[in-house]
Order: sequence, then structure tokens, then C-alpha cells
Amino acid sequence: MADNTISSSLEDYLEAIAEIIENNGHAHAKDIAERLSVKMPSVTNALQSLAARGLIKYSSHLPVEMTTRGSETAAVIRHRHGALKSFFSEILKIDDFEADGTACRIEHVISDAVLSRIVVLADAVRSRKDCAPLREYLDDAMPKVSAEGDDLAVIALDKLPRHVSAVVVSVDENLRGVKKFADLGLVSGTLLRVEGRAPFGDLLRIKVMGSSLSIRAGDAMHIWVRPVE
Amino acid sequence: MKNSIKIALAGNPNCGKTTIFNHLTGTRQHVGNYPGVTVERKTGFFNIGDLAVEVVDLPGVYSLANSSPEEKVAFNELMTGDIDLVLNVIDSGNAQRNLYLTTQLTELDIPMILVFNMIDDATERGLSFNFKMLSGFFGAPIIPTIGSSGTNLEKLNAAISEAAAAETPRRPVKPKYGPVTDMAIHALSEEVEGRQPAHTGKLPPRYFAIKLLENDPIISAMPEFDGLGEEAAKWRDRIAQRNGINSETLMADVRYGVISGACREAITLGNERRRQLSDSIDRFVTNRFLGVPVFLLMMYLVFMFTFSLAEYPMGWIESFFMWCAETISAVWPAAALPFLRRMLIEGVIGGVGGVLIFLPNILLLFLAIAFLEGTGYMARAAFITDGFMHKFGLHGKSFIPMLLGFGCSVPAVMATRTIDNRCDRLTTIMIVPFMSCGARLPIYSMMIPAFFPKEFQAFTMWLLYIIGVVIALLTALLLKSTLFKSDGEVFVMELPPYRMPTLQSILILMWENTAMYLKKAGTVILLASIILFIINSYPEKSGLAAQYEAEIAAVAAQPELTEQDRLDRTAKLRAAEKSEALSYSLAGRIGRGLEVVLKPAGFDWKIGSALIGAFAAKELFVAQLGILYAVGDSDTESGAEHLQKELARSYTPLQAFCIMLFCLLTVPCIATLAAVRKESGSWLFVGAQLALYTTVAYLVALIVFQAGTLLHIGTGLVG
Repeated sequence: MADNTISSSLEDYLEAIAEIIENNGHAHAKDIAERLSVKMPSVTNALQSLAARGLIKYSSHLPVEMTTRGSETAAVIRHRHGALKSFFSEILKIDDFEADGTACRIEHVISDAVLSRIVVLADAVRSRKDCAPLREYLDDAMPKVSAEGDDLAVIALDKLPRHVSAVVVSVDENLRGVKKFADLGLVSGTLLRVEGRAPFGDLLRIKVMGSSLSIRAGDAMHIWVRPVE
Repeated sequence: MKNSIKIALAGNPNCGKTTIFNHLTGTRQHVGNYPGVTVERKTGFFNIGDLAVEVVDLPGVYSLANSSPEEKVAFNELMTGDIDLVLNVIDSGNAQRNLYLTTQLTELDIPMILVFNMIDDATERGLSFNFKMLSGFFGAPIIPTIGSSGTNLEKLNAAISEAAAAETPRRPVKPKYGPVTDMAIHALSEEVEGRQPAHTGKLPPRYFAIKLLENDPIISAMPEFDGLGEEAAKWRDRIAQRNGINSETLMADVRYGVISGACREAITLGNERRRQLSDSIDRFVTNRFLGVPVFLLMMYLVFMFTFSLAEYPMGWIESFFMWCAETISAVWPAAALPFLRRMLIEGVIGGVGGVLIFLPNILLLFLAIAFLEGTGYMARAAFITDGFMHKFGLHGKSFIPMLLGFGCSVPAVMATRTIDNRCDRLTTIMIVPFMSCGARLPIYSMMIPAFFPKEFQAFTMWLLYIIGVVIALLTALLLKSTLFKSDGEVFVMELPPYRMPTLQSILILMWENTAMYLKKAGTVILLASIILFIINSYPEKSGLAAQYEAEIAAVAAQPELTEQDRLDRTAKLRAAEKSEALSYSLAGRIGRGLEVVLKPAGFDWKIGSALIGAFAAKELFVAQLGILYAVGDSDTESGAEHLQKELARSYTPLQAFCIMLFCLLTVPCIATLAAVRKESGSWLFVGAQLALYTTVAYLVALIVFQAGTLLHIGTGLVG
């Protein structure tokens, strides 16, 4: 098995070769370089490595040919890619371009055990009758997630809703008395929570490291936090 | 083995440091101010066996930066104070934040003991500590204590004597801040070596290297380190870039990083985390809607407590001084040293006694303040009122002093101590005496019924109080936008968890303030009373006494008068004698001299000389007027009524209103000025305040009088 494992970049080459052969009937080094946007010498290098592992037949100036083992390996890689891509695009409703790119990155690290379970899940959601309400829900909910995702990004502390915990991401360097805030623990990585506001005022009451502090909303504007939970 | 040791008590605000201090030293403490600043300086002494221990209680600080007076004081004391041992008190329930100061203290390379205080509270909240690990981490023994009950303090004593006995004292471990930062500290230390100021000989170069790296304003500006600033800045940028953090706050970042590493391993939070009681209370007390009513209720209770409970002891003190005066005049024959006799009875007992009457007020007010402060409510009060005060350039912490100003300006001025920012504090001190204090009340209650119809009396009183508040706030607004403009400091305030303060700490605090007040009564006020007595009595018109004695003798000789008539006429003559004597005296002459100036504001010379008395204390205004209008004893009911009739015959309601305005807006008493001098630390400030108040009072009275005269409002005599 050990000689069967190849690096993720070689997997990409093998996958590309298989696709080109499928489309054009044969694959030249130049086509491969174009498809993967790499330089010719890198392609030559990779082809030699693949040939040394007995996955392709390669000599310069001739089109690349797959060996039987090469075709099998390429099929596995492409199956993984396809399964992941369809999981991202059909179940998670991520657009094709991002689904493709994400699949490319994950396919090299994911184990067969995890992948096959993802495939089972995807097939079930896609085709089982009793999953129809789930499909409807996914169609409806998933596209909205990306929009809400922006809310989970960094916001200013004065916009943080009450009783929501958040982690300090950064503090503007030009905030007046930034050192004083830092001394009290308002540095990146600190967990905090807004407890309330003062009556007719601009004071916030926040909980930081087990103590209650009150700071002005005007200063809180310069403290950037990411909500957690 | 040393036989004496000097230790410094350091810690965050609200970590229970003062309780530990009180427990260690008992009543052997000395309170003063640090030279040049109004930060309280406390030292105490105690013995452990043969070892004499001196403890310096440093002000509570979050950091050894130089950004507030407290921090500067703590910093200087540690840098140059010959401290042998640092006791770092830590609120165990909030160790992560408290240990931030600890990391800075380790840099000083002074042997240290960590006191994990309020350990009961922390354990109850489900925290458990691996003290062995923490102790190894900081290189200092750890003693868990409960300050309020004194638990484990004997172990603390043992640790102190052990540290004193050690041949080579154990030095704290310097934390590692990560490769680049440590490299920077090392490089800068080498530069600092040999260049550090002579008076800081004990401190390691590494300490200054870190301060330079932090861009500490004071260390970076030391001439010895000229040129090192740029190098530190280069390192700073490199570290900031490398770690992706702010270059301004990089040491804070790395310190908190180090601490969170230490805490993750050594402090564990049990599953059962009880919701903190403190948070539940805050849910009501600082609520957007309930906060204000709760606050008003609390303030009402404080006033009730202070003023109604003080009534009885005030009565006792008053009768005590009356008894003194009577006893002395009975024992001391009138013929022997008459000047001294009168000065003692009228000047000293009258003046100092008149001020000491307020002692119960002050005592109870400070008791209430100490309680509110100790429980943690004071910070909430500032939080609640901040929004309103902010509109006038002040913040929440100024509210309490202003409120206290309705009672008495002296404790109100002293209560400004809770305000950290010096500009805000001075502004508050400046405006507090505009609040209508209790001593002005007798003036209103004498004048208003004499001049205003019943339906307007309450309104007039209310109006005067409001005018005081409005002028105070406008002055604050003016000062904050001109002289005392401050951008330098930011407002961050900790709301400490609610706690029950110990009786000992409240009593000690109360005693300190009372002692201060007594000292003042014994010095400034005593002196002022004597001076006032002299200008009220001298020069004496020669033959005046003889002339009136003759007239009185003539009255006594008239056989056709009834006994009652005889008494009345005698009293009238005695009063007239006093009045004439006063008009001849220095005070009377000054009053006449002032008439030129005071006339446009509606005052005659009598009011002028009464105002001189009122300068010492507003209560004296009524008494002075009583003498001038020759009504004898103005304190008795008939005397007061008589005076009111006399006044109504002499002045218009408009004039009366202007007199009250003037009394409201001038500095309440000499005691206030003395308190302002102490708290501001400057005579110039006192002079400025006096000038401001007198000018404002005069101008307001002038404008009101002239406008009123022009519009014919209240210009007719009612009597």
C-alpha cells in the first residue's frame, strides 16, 4: 500500500490527465501544463514521478498514456472529487466554483471511511422519499446561511447585542487610552459579554474576565469583536 | 537576620488590600498624602516576634503604567522606596486580571508573596487552584486568605518573617514572553546596563528595558535613556508585525497571553458554576428603567440617615458648648482679663462650637459613604448618573459630591476623592459649594416668611435650590470646555462585585475623616473665629458702655414703670448698645466701606457687615443681622419674629431675594475653603474659587436687582 500513496499534487496531475484523455483521446504535456496553469518543467517532473510509480507511460514528445493501475487510481480520485463537489453544491448549496475548489483541497486529506459516509448521506438526502421535507428545508435555509454568515463576522463592541459572548479580535491603535483598556484585559483573544447599558447614557456595562467594567459606547466603537456561540 | 523590614502592599482596586492592611496593622496606621498629589498614603507598623515591620499601602492599581496619579505613586514608591518585600494581594475570584499586575511586579526583582484573598468566594464559585504550580510559575510563596475574617493571616505573618530571615531572598521568576519579545528585552537590557539612574540601583536593567519597550511615557523621557527610544520602537514594530498585535499594547498582549497559559493549567472551573449573586443584583440596580428609581431611593435613605439621626447628637453638642460658655462666664469673674474672657466665650466657643455642631452630620455621612463604597454601590451610582452628568462635561462620579453638597460642602469636597481624573476632580471641587448647603437654610427660613406671601414661599425656596444647581452645572460646562478641558484620560470604571464591608474598615475610614475634620476645627476655624471676634468687637467706642449703663440705670430708676416694661426697655437698650458697638467696629466699618459696591446690588451697610460674618460661616449671617437690628437674641422665637418684622420694614422683597441669592452663591464657609485647599493642594485654586464665587454672586445679585427695579417687581415694602 505504501507505494500506492502519492502526494496531493501528483493526484491533481493524474486527475487532470484522466480528464484530458477522456475529452481529447490523448494528453500532451503542453495540455496538462495549460490545464493546471503550471510551467512545462514542473509537468515533466511530475510525469516522470508518475511514470516511476507505474501509473502512466511516458516518454518525451509522445502523448501520455494511462496504465491500468493509473486509470484505477485516477477513477478513485475523480470519484472522491465528484462526491465531495456534489455534497457541497447539492446539499450545502454552495456555488459550483467554490464547491469545485473546496473539493480539490479536501479530496487529498479525506479518508475513504469519512468520504464513503458523506456519500451515503448525500445519496440519502438526494433521493430518499422521507427526506423530502429536509430537501425543501435545505433549499430554503442554506442560501440564507451565507448571508447570515456576515453577521458572525467581526463587529464593533457597541453593536454587540446584550448577553452575547464575543472574543476581542482587535483594538484600534488610535483609540484614546488604548493602553488603559489593554491593562484591564481588553486585548485580542479576551472573551467578553455586554451586560447592559446605563439609563439615558452612553455607558456600556461589560463583563470581562470575571469583572464588570463600564466603558463609553464611543470607545467601544473602536473595539472589534467576533460573537461566539 | 534582619530585625526590621519594609514591605509594600500592592494590588488591584477592590481586591481587599485595605482589609488585609487593617488586619495586619490594627490601629497603628498613619494616613497622609503623597507629596505633591492628593493620593492617600497609608503606612502602618506591626511586629512579628522581634521583627519590626513597616507596611506601605500602595494605591490600588491595575498596572504599573504611568497613566494616573495612583499608578505614578505606586510606580515611584516601588522604584525608589527601598521596599524589601512586596505583598501582592489578588482577588482569587478574578485571578486572571489580577495576575496582570503580578507579572509586572515580578519584573522589579523584589521578593514577593502572593496573597490569594477572598478565597472563600472563589471556591464557592467553583474555582479550584493549583497553588504549587502557580507558586512555581511566579517564584513566590502563595498564601490563600480571607481578609474579612482574618483567616490564614498568621500564615502570612510566618511567610513574611521567613522572607525576612532568608540569607539570600528568593527572587520572583521572570515570565517568558515569547522568542522575539524576549530577544528584544535582552537586547534593550544590555543597552540600559550602566545607564540606569542612580536612585534606582536596586532594580534590574531588564525592568527598564521592558518599560522602554512598552513606551512608558516617564521612563522613555528619562535623559539617561536618550536615544534608546528609537531602538525600542524598532523592536516594537518587529514584535507587533510578527505577532499581529498592536504595537502600543504589545506588552499587555503578551502578558495576558502568559497569564492565560498559567491559569489554564493551574486554575480549574468546576462544573457547578453558580450564577453570581452580584450579576443578579446588577440586573435590577443598573437596569435602564429601574436604575434611576433605585438610585433615588438610596440617596433618600442616605439623607434620612445622615440628617435625622444626627439631630440628637447635634443637640447634645450644642448644649455641651452652651454649658461650657455658661460655666466659664460663671467661674471667670467679668473684671479679670475681660478681653480674653470675651474672646474665649464669644469667639472660641461660639465659633468652634458652631462648627463642631456639624460633627455628627459629617460622621454619619461618611459612615453612609463608606458603607456604599464598601458594598460596591457607589460605582453603580456613578454608572447610573453618568448620562446626565456627561451633558455638562462631568461624569457619574461627580454626582455624589454634588448631592452631598446639599448637606454640607466640607464632606462634599472631601468626597471628590473618588474621582480619578484630576481635571474632573478639580471641576467638581469648584462647583460643589454652589449646591445650597444646610447652613444656608437658616437664612432662607428667616427671610422667606418675612417677605413672601405664603403661597410663594415653598416656590421661592425651591427656586433658590434650583438656581444653585443650574449655576453649578453651567460653571462645570464652562470650566470643562475651557480651563479644565481634558482629553488625556479615558473613562473606564470597574463595577466591583457587591460585598459586605467589614465593620473595622468602615470604622477606620470614618475615624480618619472625622479626625481630619476635628483637626480643621482646631486650627483654621479656631483662628478664623478669633479674627472674626476681633473685627466684630474692635475698636470699641469709648464711653459707649458707660452711656448705656447710665440709661439703663435711668430706666431702673423710673418708679412709674411696671416690672415687665422695665425689663423690655433694658433689653432694648442692651441690644441697641450691641448694634452701635458693631457699627463702630471694624466689621461695621468694612460694611460701610463696601456699601458703595453693594448698593447697586441692593445691599446696605448692615447687610454688608453681616456678610462679613457670613464669610466665616453662613449660619452667622442671621446672628450678625440680629445684632445689627438690635433684637437681642435672634435665636429665640420672639427674637426671630422681631427680626423678621424689622427686616420687612427695611427692605423690599426684591432686595431680600438678592440677599438670599448672594448668600447662596458665595463660598459657604471658611471650613469649605480649608477643605478645598487640602483637596486641591493649592492656595491659588482657593483664591480662584473665592474670586469666582464672589463675582458670580455679585453679578447675579446685581443683574436681578437692577432688572427687578426696572420692571418694578417686588419693589414695594411689605412691612
